[in-house]
Amino acid sequence: MTKKITINFSVNGDRETREAVVGQTLLKFIREELHLSGTKEGCEIGECGACTVLLDGKPVNSCLVLAVELDGKELVTIEGLSKNGELDRLQQAFVEKFAFQCGYCTPGMIMSAKALLDRNSDPTDEDINVALSGNLCRCGAYQEIREAIKASAKK
Amino acid sequence: MLSYDYVKCSDLKQAFDVLKTNEHALPLAGGTDLMVGMRGGKFTPRLLVDIKGLEELKVLKEDDAGITIGAAVTLNQIALFEPIVRHAAPLAEGAHSVGSYPIRNRATLAGNLCNASPAADTAAPLYSLGAVIKLIGPNQERSMPIEEFFLGPGKTALQKGELVRSILIPKPYPAGKGVYMKASRTGSVDLSTVGVAVQNWDGKVRIAVGAVAPTPVRALAVEKAINEGGEKDWAKAAKLVHDDISPITDLRGSREYRYHIAEVLVRRGLEQTVGV
Repeated sequence: MTKKITINFSVNGDRETREAVVGQTLLKFIREELHLSGTKEGCEIGECGACTVLLDGKPVNSCLVLAVELDGKELVTIEGLSKNGELDRLQQAFVEKFAFQCGYCTPGMIMSAKALLDRNSDPTDEDINVALSGNLCRCGAYQEIREAIKASAKK
Repeated sequence: MLSYDYVKCSDLKQAFDVLKTNEHALPLAGGTDLMVGMRGGKFTPRLLVDIKGLEELKVLKEDDAGITIGAAVTLNQIALFEPIVRHAAPLAEGAHSVGSYPIRNRATLAGNLCNASPAADTAAPLYSLGAVIKLIGPNQERSMPIEEFFLGPGKTALQKGELVRSILIPKPYPAGKGVYMKASRTGSVDLSTVGVAVQNWDGKVRIAVGAVAPTPVRALAVEKAINEGGEKDWAKAAKLVHDDISPITDLRGSREYRYHIAEVLVRRGLEQTVGV
């Protein structure tokens, strides 16, 4: 029998009560239950960062968190950044600096970068390297990603 | 999807009751090793006992005894905790070198130790700092030096139903610099090929090496040459690390490479902590 647990949480500012299947990852829950497909599935072992989301303001690999652990927490996904159809300035900076090619890593990159800028409004290259150490880009857009983050920080 | 049950504990007693009555239960803290291990079939629990919310395990404080790090404290908290940065630098650096920033927001020190990888980046630092592991079971608490906690790859002194409660960096703290140096294939998200912690204790040194034996090990031959023999030639002293380690060849590096890089890191560690 599949066991379910009722969880209360907020997602991108909205309060929700849902049933989560025990054993389901937060990543699957976000994509398949909340139908927010911006968060990507990559390696599923915490090495690529494509699934990065903010849990209580901190970036985590949603593939390494259980959906039931969301209870009582605040979740922000890439969908939570734009307001009224307008990209936020970090997203806009990624567009302006061509900070992606295929775009698969981009939601995770932006969530890690957002968490960095929330705690450090003027990051150095080293700060950016550490904050994004868990996000891989197979197209190799790292240089542009760093520029986009710096450009966003300056605004 | 994996099939198991889950319980979020509200106090330690509940955790022990649940762990005692369920043969295939495993404690869940950060979950960064556990989730990967479950997916790969290394762990097959029927029940996960979530202990990360327990106040008793979230303690991170400094008092007369030293620095206490509860089992639910994350590696990012440790890397930034001012008393650790000031008095236990190898641990701050070792914690900072694990995985990636998001991993360290979940992963705990206690979890890194309980996983008992010989390459655990927080272990060698704790050996160099003389850390004490505090265990708690349903009926008793006990403490042991970190050296007695690690028994082999994946094996610790934890008994069935017991949990790590906290890790203590005892006072008096080392009077001198300490470093953790890691050789790995990539700058982040990799286990160490070799990890070396060197701590200066007022002119004497305490050195530990990871990923070169079934458990992290003290470089006792190097320590003896310096602390008792008065050796000042760090290159000569570092060579003695060959007597302390028994590395294997694996995907991260050959046995020969590990011998070489352990020696290099010990020498650099001595240069940085005791001086050129």
